[in-house]
Parts: sequence; structure tokens; C-alpha cells
Amino acid sequence: MTSTVPVAELTGAVESPPRRFRPGAARRRSDTRWALLFLTPTLIGLAVLSAGPILATFGISLTKWDMLTTPQFVGLDNYVRLIGDDRFLRALRNTVFYTVVSVPLGLALALALATALNQQIRGIAWIRTAYFLPLVTSATAIALVWLWIYSPAGPLNDILRAFGISPQRWVADPTLAMPSIIAMSIWQGLPANVIIFLAGLQAIPAEYYDAASVDGAGRRSRFRSITLPLLTPSIFFTGVLALIGAFQVFDQVYVMANPGKPGEATITLVYFIYEAGFRNFKMGYAGAASWIMFLIVAVATILYFRTQNRWVHYQ
Amino acid sequence: MTAPATTPAVVHRATRRSAGRRARKAGLYLALVAGGLAMMIPFLWMLTTSLKTRAEVFSSPPFSFPTGLHWDNYTKMWFALPGVTFGTFFQNSIVIASLATLGQLITCSMAAYAFAVFDFRFKRVLFALILATLIIPFQIVLVPNFILYRFLPFPLSESGNWIGTNLPLWVWAFFGGAFGTFLLRQFFLTVPNELADAARVDGANPWQIFVRIYVPLAKPALATLAIFQFMWSWNDLLDPLIYLRDLPTYTTTVGLAFFQGQYVGKWPEMMAGALVSLLPMIILFLVAQKYFVRGITLSGLKG
Repeated sequence: MTSTVPVAELTGAVESPPRRFRPGAARRRSDTRWALLFLTPTLIGLAVLSAGPILATFGISLTKWDMLTTPQFVGLDNYVRLIGDDRFLRALRNTVFYTVVSVPLGLALALALATALNQQIRGIAWIRTAYFLPLVTSATAIALVWLWIYSPAGPLNDILRAFGISPQRWVADPTLAMPSIIAMSIWQGLPANVIIFLAGLQAIPAEYYDAASVDGAGRRSRFRSITLPLLTPSIFFTGVLALIGAFQVFDQVYVMANPGKPGEATITLVYFIYEAGFRNFKMGYAGAASWIMFLIVAVATILYFRTQNRWVHYQ
Repeated sequence: MTAPATTPAVVHRATRRSAGRRARKAGLYLALVAGGLAMMIPFLWMLTTSLKTRAEVFSSPPFSFPTGLHWDNYTKMWFALPGVTFGTFFQNSIVIASLATLGQLITCSMAAYAFAVFDFRFKRVLFALILATLIIPFQIVLVPNFILYRFLPFPLSESGNWIGTNLPLWVWAFFGGAFGTFLLRQFFLTVPNELADAARVDGANPWQIFVRIYVPLAKPALATLAIFQFMWSWNDLLDPLIYLRDLPTYTTTVGLAFFQGQYVGKWPEMMAGALVSLLPMIILFLVAQKYFVRGITLSGLKG
């Protein structure tokens, strides 16, 4: 192996090889063998735990299976039944509502916060820590706290009473339940988005602002003509993750709604899948529901990517 | 501002502007601190409520402090469930999160090294495939994975298979992961070629180069991955809920959710439990904030 090192250096100087080891058929064969060795766990994981199961889920979704008796092939029956299942449609509607409200609102708030936090002032590290803290907390524990905040004798109703407003039932109220869960999720999701936006803001060259100031641009117009356009890649990126994350909402719903049996008002797609598969042991039905969820997320993501050219400015 | 050359009018305007700037700065400080406190309010309520008596919780105004420090809420919470203490849940969570973290550190760094250093067929396709699993809602694999774990034998468990044991919660981590592979590959690409070249001249093979040069250099990136994986495992609810069956095997999250179902309305104990379950993560965050921030900015992934 060591004897060919000069060759690598020569070819490297001529055509700058894409990777660090020298090119050539022998090299490549050896590379492939080593790569295979290093990738063995990953390849097994991919086949057995992620890529394989995605296909397996589709296969299972075409059957009726309670895990005790042998699976029965039923074709697309599960899908047809899901479309007529009120509980599933309700879960779908709730999840879409949750996503459509929480994602834009969460991003807008995070953007405002990041702009405010992007200051070179004393003690800013401490201030940021306060804003970032919800980042590491489990949705389970946080949902418990918010359950207390929303409870009939809880602090939120106390505050309402102080202003002469009659107390609300929040998570126990069918119309207010989902907005209450959304408010909590936005609070908890803020730090991650703020951190991404802060990194985006700090990557904007200061000269741009200096030039704009010389031209007499005010604070607001600088934000609109420099900050916002240059931040669109961060906003786009955060948007994708927020979108996919929002579709997977489960923990908050499981804890905040009546334990074990959330009312119709707060069931989400993942809760529906959990309930169908692991409470009622309808594996085919749960599989079909997860494939529908997968397709919806895929289509939403593709559509979102399509809008990219219209509003995202890459430098 | 060259003071001697300026006319009094200009000086006057300059001081007025700097006074305005100072006022703006003070306002900003005030707003940021107030906002930070607002973000902390749920934590504050968690703390004060956990120290109040149950009667106090219902009678006192929201921003009041407890009249006495009722730490007994914590002991009540700790021993609230029959046959187990909260310590058991803690222990279970620590074991699962540690094993999952170990698995990810080993296998993700191996895969990342392969992608960063070797040249092989289908490399781009494979890497794209791994990245794609990052944006796929993982719930799609819940059903087949459950079936797989139910099929795998485990003589010591009640079911005779992996269901009811903690195996499904960490064994997967020893088979690679998209986040860690991506994060570490980015880092490995920045390692200068000369280091590996020198080692190769000395007769080191790729495995030795990986273990002796790449892994030690990647400590900050490995720390980031470790912290995130530990946090994800610690905070996970859905998987433990599906796979764990008996109270003594519960993690803190499932234990907490179960506790809530059993003790409706016992707010002080519940807040004590929530706070205790959050404490390890909060401490980790205060100690290693920069790794959290780096992990988020590098990959955009959330908690």
C-alpha cells in the first residue's frame, strides 16, 4: 500500500481526486472493502430497521392482522375503511390544524425573538440561556406543567379572573383544547428555531448593513431588504423540519388529553396509529394509517420544496 | 466624532443621538429580560407549586410563593407508586439512554468515516438514502418494528420475546443513525489529509487511522452527538409506551405519564415529579449549552 503513495501525490496534483485516498482500480477495490466494513452496522440498520420496514408497512397495510391469528389479505380494504372512519378523519383534521397554526406562528415568533436576541450586549449569554431552556425538556413533563397552568384552579384562570374574565376549561373544552396544546408546543419549540435563526443572522456580513446605513436606510427597511431575504434559506430549512415535526405530534396530546383516551377534539394521526396498532392490535389498520400519514407528509414536503424558487434567496 | 472640529450644534445632535441610543438599549434590555422571565414562568410555577400544600395550591394567587417549603411533596412523589420508587424509573432511563448513546457514537462515527474518506460505488445514493430517513416520519416503521421485536426471542422475558424488555429501546442504536452520520461526516471532512497520509506512510491501516486520528479529533462532534442522543432517549415517550409493560421497567417519561393518570389533582406531587424528571437535562444543558447550540445549528435538528 505504501509503495504507491507517490503516485497518489502525482495524480492528486494533476486532477485533485475527489477523496483523500489515491484513485485507481486497486485503490477503489480496497476502499470498497473498507467502506463495507465500516458501513456494515448502518447497512443492516437501513435494511432491517428503516428502509425495509417502510415497505413492510405497506405489505401489512394490505392485511387484516391482530397478531394472534394469521394475517388475511384484504387488498386496499383498510384504506377504504379509513377514509370512512370518522375518528381517523377527525385525527387528520386535528393534525392539519395543529400544523397549519403552529408552524407559521412558531416561526414568526422565533424570527422576532432571534432578531431581538442578536445583540452584542453584556449578559446576552445569560439572557439567551433563559430562552433556550425549554429546548431540553421532555414534552411529557412540560405537558404536566401546562396541564396545571390550564387547570380550573390553575394560574391562567386566576389571571383571567383578575381581569374580570370568566375562567375557561382550556384543554377540557372541545374548541379551546387544540389551541391550548398549540400554545404550549410553540413555547417549547421556540428555542430550536431561535437558535437556527440566530446562526443565520450572524452569518449576514455586517458590511451589508453598513452600506445600507450609508444609503440612509432605516431600521425597518434594512430588516426588510437585507435581513429577511438573506434569512430565507434558514426560514425555509426550519420550515421543513417544523412541518414534519408538527405532523408527528403525540406526547403533548397523550399527556394533556384525558389519559389513555383523548377526546375527539385532540386526537392526532400518531395517536390514532398508536391506538389502532398498540391498543387495539389492528396491525393492518395502523399500517394503512401510517402509510397515509407518510404520503401526506411526503406530498406536503414536495409542495413546500416547490415554492422554494419563489421566495428563498440563496447567496 | 472629532470633537474640536465640530460646531456646537453638531455636538448637541450627537449627544442627543447617543442618549437616544442608550434609552433604546435600556428598553431592549428590559424587554429581553422580561421576555426571558416570561419563558421561565412555567418552570417557576413548577417549582413553587411543588413546594406548596395541596390546600395552598387552590387558594393562593398564581404568583405567590409557598408559605413553607414542603419538601415532603418530593418524598411523597418518590414513593407514590406501589412496589417501585421514582429512582427505578431514573435508573431505567439512564441505562437505556446510555446504551443508545454508546451505540450511536460507535456506529455513526464508523459510517461517517466511510463516507468522508473512502471512494466507493453508490456512495452518493447511499448517503442520500440515509439523509432521507431524517425527514421521514418514523412512525411509518412502528408496526413492522414491533412485529420484528415480537419475533426476536429473549428467554428471560415474560413474553419470551423482546416485547416488555428494554432491548427495542436501545439495540437499534448499534445499527447506525442519520443524524449522527451526517453530523460526524461534516466534521471528518474538515480533518486535514496530511494527518492520515503521514499515518499511512507509517504503515497504519484505515481502521487504525480511524481509531487513532479521526476519533480523537472528533471529540467535540462526538460530544454533540452524545448529548443529543442521550436527550432524545431520555425524553422519548412513544417507544417506551409501546414496548414496556411492567411498572418496574418504566422510564421516567412513562412513569410520569402513568403517575399523572393515577394521581389526578395532586398538583404539588405531580409538579415535583415533573421537575425531578427534567433536572438531569437542565443540568446537562447548563453545563454543555454550546454543544446543544452547535448541534442545532449544524443540523437543524430539534430536541
